[in-house]
Amino acid sequence: MNGPLVPNEILTPEMGLAFALIAGLLFGFFLERAGFGSARKLTAIFYLQDFAVLKVMFTAVVVGAVGLLLLGGAELLDFDLLAIPPTYLWPQAVGGLLIGLGFVLGGY
Amino acid sequence: MNLQFAKQPAYWSPYLAGLAIGLTLILTYYVMGHGVGASGAYTQIAARMLEIEAPVHAQANIYLRRYLELGPLAQSWIVIEMFGVLLGGLLGALTARRFQFQIERGPGVAAEDRLLFALLGGILVGFGSRLAQGCTSGQALSGGAVLAVGSWLFTLAFFLGGYLFARVARRQWR
Repeated sequence: MNGPLVPNEILTPEMGLAFALIAGLLFGFFLERAGFGSARKLTAIFYLQDFAVLKVMFTAVVVGAVGLLLLGGAELLDFDLLAIPPTYLWPQAVGGLLIGLGFVLGGY
Repeated sequence: MNLQFAKQPAYWSPYLAGLAIGLTLILTYYVMGHGVGASGAYTQIAARMLEIEAPVHAQANIYLRRYLELGPLAQSWIVIEMFGVLLGGLLGALTARRFQFQIERGPGVAAEDRLLFALLGGILVGFGSRLAQGCTSGQALSGGAVLAVGSWLFTLAFFLGGYLFARVARRQWR
């Protein structure tokens, strides 16, 4: 089956909405299992005491990137139909900085 | 601190949790053609709330109107997904018997101060995520996995911001 399934009309948009709940359930459950329900654990990285945030985040990004590359290479996923976040250098740099500040103040 | 965390053995290895989240990302891209998100759901809900309170003003705002044109909240992918995230997190906490009402904070901080800082932090994160068109979910994770240049810059700036300002918030947590 050629992905992405909803843009390729293999699945209907309604099925995509049902999948949203599944994706959210998985994402939320795994984030909790990572310990990210705890604001103290989340912020611990910035006090050099617990690097779980970095380990989880980068493992997920690397697994995701490699997996997508393999799917694309096997022609199971059409890269042209993927939504790639557009590049706005200054907004993304300043936004990231503000979120970093808000993160340590608020604990997410 | 380590002692406290050691009492909760049900946390997964960060590499296992990262693998699971990475696979969730791949599945989401494979089904939807986009990754996971979080902050966008709040923007859509905020736009709807403003529409209820001040419909003319909400419609006149170009930025919010774009979100209003996306249709009802119950048919919004990211709103449903965020509902799932809350549910999934709750399920995770319950099954690990970690669920409890608390205001997590450092030993020297009053609960009221913690809440005030949480509000302040939330405002900054909210504004920052609209500026960057995403948060740590939409930009760092999802954009990172498709190697978007701006998303990687976002991630670097996020960590830089955290380390730059960690001193000001130390009492909140440690």
